[in-house]
Amino acid sequence: MTDEQLDRRVRDADPYRPEVLAHLDGAAQDLLEEIMSTPILESVTEPPVRRSRPRRRLVGGLASAGVAATVLAVAFGISMVRTDQPGDHQVAPETSSNSEAPGTTSYSAMVLKAAEENPRLLIDQPGWEATHVDGFTKRAGSITYSNGTRHLRMNWYEASEYDGRYEDRLEVSKPEPVQVDRWPGDLFRYSASDFAVMLRPRDGSFIEMRTASAWTRADLDRVLASVVRVDARTWLAALPAEIVTPERVTERAAKVLADVPLPPGFDPATLDIDGVNDPYQFGVRVIGPVGCAWIGEWTRAKKADDHAALQRAAEALRSSHNWKVLQQMDAEGDWPNGFWETADRVAAGDRVGPKMFNPCD
Amino acid sequence: MSSGTEHEERFRRVYAVNFEPLLAYAMRRVEQPEDAADVVAETFLVAWRRSREMPPEAEARLWLHGVARRVLANHHRGGARRGRLGDRLQQRFRAALAVDPGSEVPERLTVRAALARLNELDREVLMLTFWEGLEPREVAVVLQVSPAAVRTRLSRARARLRDLIGDDLDSPGHVLDVMAVRAPEEGR
Repeated sequence: MTDEQLDRRVRDADPYRPEVLAHLDGAAQDLLEEIMSTPILESVTEPPVRRSRPRRRLVGGLASAGVAATVLAVAFGISMVRTDQPGDHQVAPETSSNSEAPGTTSYSAMVLKAAEENPRLLIDQPGWEATHVDGFTKRAGSITYSNGTRHLRMNWYEASEYDGRYEDRLEVSKPEPVQVDRWPGDLFRYSASDFAVMLRPRDGSFIEMRTASAWTRADLDRVLASVVRVDARTWLAALPAEIVTPERVTERAAKVLADVPLPPGFDPATLDIDGVNDPYQFGVRVIGPVGCAWIGEWTRAKKADDHAALQRAAEALRSSHNWKVLQQMDAEGDWPNGFWETADRVAAGDRVGPKMFNPCD
Repeated sequence: MSSGTEHEERFRRVYAVNFEPLLAYAMRRVEQPEDAADVVAETFLVAWRRSREMPPEAEARLWLHGVARRVLANHHRGGARRGRLGDRLQQRFRAALAVDPGSEVPERLTVRAALARLNELDREVLMLTFWEGLEPREVAVVLQVSPAAVRTRLSRARARLRDLIGDDLDSPGHVLDVMAVRAPEEGR
């Protein structure tokens, strides 16, 4: 067979079928829009002075006076405009070049859009801080605020779910009317120390708040009175540094991976993390794929009889006991233990059962 | 730096021009055709996230192939996320590709089976050359090796493939999937 004949046979064996394009029916365009609605991570500057003020005061005095609002505007280089919309505190960026000056926050349009779709309620009272957020880029999600042992979780859902959930809550107790930053809702009592508050749908979604640990109705009333709805920038800026917003994903992943050996060809940019998880969940999302890839590399090396690669993969897996992020997570949950157990078994060449911890899940 | 809108327009153009080449690239390298939707979605997602690093439009295709190659490596390791983006694309794929595997020409299967038995770099050099239609200098950019190394590889890979096809002429169809093979990465 000549080179020419061989080349032709290879060309003929091409499995691609161009006719598939005719059947996509706009799906390629949908994908493009989906992709472009995700944040571009590199386009953001972090506010270096953000942590210099106590984060307890999430939006100092926003609801009551202009003084704290001015402080906030100075701290973030933004100007604040109270609007006539009930319950909506807007913060607009200054139009001058100030917006790029050190100490300012610059969010990509996509991040702001994602934040716009969140309810963006903050508890404007000392001692409260956001400890967990998820669903940042989705139409449903939750944010948990904690103050010592008391927690208040705010879940948000699509407005279409409101009626069904409201009916369920009627089984819990009679509704009592409440207002949160001039936003009407209903309070339900599970017990004398456990409450839920459902706010009416607005802008396509609604919020349900739920208490955790012992609350009194008076406690809840005080907290509800200090809940404010803020604009996207203020909401993003108020999230504590520990929460990984989309802007922080690249930087935070680099920190998590600083002492972690990466499998051959592993590209941290392919990690699919859309932000706003607590540090523990963020660690899971970063280390899971790394562990999975090392196990894949170990398996490949074993099959290929590639002793050097096998050794490298086993050493990397064993070294996971020293990865700082897993050690930090170990204090909070069992994920690191599961990871280490599986990593050690793989490194030792022992079988990993289907029900054992699998970082690829 | 270009403005947001300019930047977005540029990405849209790159996407429009490169969607099909990337789709074809992915389809040629995954076991299940609908997985190609996943690979394309993730490749363009990574490209979007890194679009500030993307070279000028004329050179974007090779850069995208490089991104797709890393995405595929993760995909083969099973660590890639599945189905978060491009669900609809995947559904359309399933519908469009519902063909009878028995209708494949045996000779094509023989060649694909032989390709699957080559090492990864030899296979990639052949596939990028004959399926993606790239020049050796372009293959070199995607694989991050020198053009001279690509030419040497190409010649060697042809010889190996010729041997394998010769061996397999009488027993076609015993391996149908080029893509199931996870060969070592080399030369990087």
